[in-house]
Amino acid sequence: MTSSSPQRRDQDPAELSALGRYAGPATLILSSLAEGDKHGYGLTKDIEGFAGIRLAPGTMYEALSRLERQGLIEALESHDRRRPYRLTALGATALRAHLADQRRVAEVGLRRLESGEGTA
Amino acid sequence: MSASRSDARRAERLVRVYPHAWRARYGPELAQLLMDDMAERPLSPVRTADVVGHGLWTRLAFAGLVGDAVAPERRSRAALGALAGLVAAFLVVGVALWSQLTIGWQWSAPAAPGTKAGMIVMSGALLGFGLIAALAAGPIAWALLGALRRNADAIWRPLVLSFAGAVLLLLGSRHFGAGWPGTGGHAWAGRNLVPGSVARLGWAATLWITSYWAHPGALRSFPAGEIAWMAVSPFALLAVMGGGLRTLRRLELSERTQRWETCLALVAAGVMAAFVAGAGSWVLSGGPGPKNLFRVGAIDMLALALLTVALVAASHSLRRAVGGSSRRRAA
Repeated sequence: MTSSSPQRRDQDPAELSALGRYAGPATLILSSLAEGDKHGYGLTKDIEGFAGIRLAPGTMYEALSRLERQGLIEALESHDRRRPYRLTALGATALRAHLADQRRVAEVGLRRLESGEGTA
Repeated sequence: MSASRSDARRAERLVRVYPHAWRARYGPELAQLLMDDMAERPLSPVRTADVVGHGLWTRLAFAGLVGDAVAPERRSRAALGALAGLVAAFLVVGVALWSQLTIGWQWSAPAAPGTKAGMIVMSGALLGFGLIAALAAGPIAWALLGALRRNADAIWRPLVLSFAGAVLLLLGSRHFGAGWPGTGGHAWAGRNLVPGSVARLGWAATLWITSYWAHPGALRSFPAGEIAWMAVSPFALLAVMGGGLRTLRRLELSERTQRWETCLALVAAGVMAAFVAGAGSWVLSGGPGPKNLFRVGAIDMLALALLTVALVAASHSLRRAVGGSSRRRAA
């Protein structure tokens, strides 16, 4: 098992949104890993299946390396070049908090749309 | 999923855009993902652009210029390395600009006070760079000796590359400097701002930075040897800079040495700013001058723009170097 930088371990798990332009890919990757361990291509296909978004390889590995550095995922041993990744407990907490935030925003938006506020 | 041999080659080529340290960890995985992707979608310009873009960004991040890819304790060191590269690039463009102007001064002093002041400031700045280099070299040489004693294998290749490039550049510049169009060395001239031998060397080393490339007809009238030197000398310069920077990155510098080099980098940034101000003064005040010697051309404007970009990037690196150094001290 590959360990990530220890200085990142104690950070606030809610920092997923602080990934800036990588928050989107990070959410998709963590959501995919919430189902089970996957390697790069497995993640690509799974994310394409549930989100309709195909993460390009450069974007995928930029996000994977950041998530690993933050201790939100960990790399597993592999006998070939398709190395699988696993969601860590910290990653699960960060994903849960991030998705709860997203759900709150979505619920507010949907409620306002249903009540017809602000529509022409 | 079966990947063809050509897919494997394409994938390996693409992964090489990333820095060596990143490739050591993620390279094989990314290459495999690319091959899997290529098996499904053989041609994808978007995929290529995505990998190249992220690879170059990661290179900048590993050079300490952007992002947080480098661990905080190494960030200051990486930023110092980037700064050294930027100063070197700045010097190449700066010397090319300055050496053209010194040719003019060998013939006749500039009439415009702004041009005169600008050239004096630029010459003083180059002298400043020389002093900074001399002050920076001591601790680096000491660290280099230590590294050679401990683990020469990690150092000798870039060191030899840098040395070979420097020898080629020096010998070539001395040889082709004989065709220098200045009059330095003629006692009667008496108007030279800097010794002709120095101006001649700077001119020959940066002969390839010229607008003649855009005028092939005029370029063809040059001696074949000189054109060959204009084609070869950039590679010699790249070898000096690339080998030197690689050597520098592989050295273990003590905390004290890093502080000293950061102080010198602060001074170097000031000297860069002075040089840009001098060049700007010439561009703003310089007309053709006596005998059309100080005319400002499009390539000079481009050089000034490049110098300004290098100065801004160097200031950015310096902030990161100083920030990293302060954080380490606070820790």
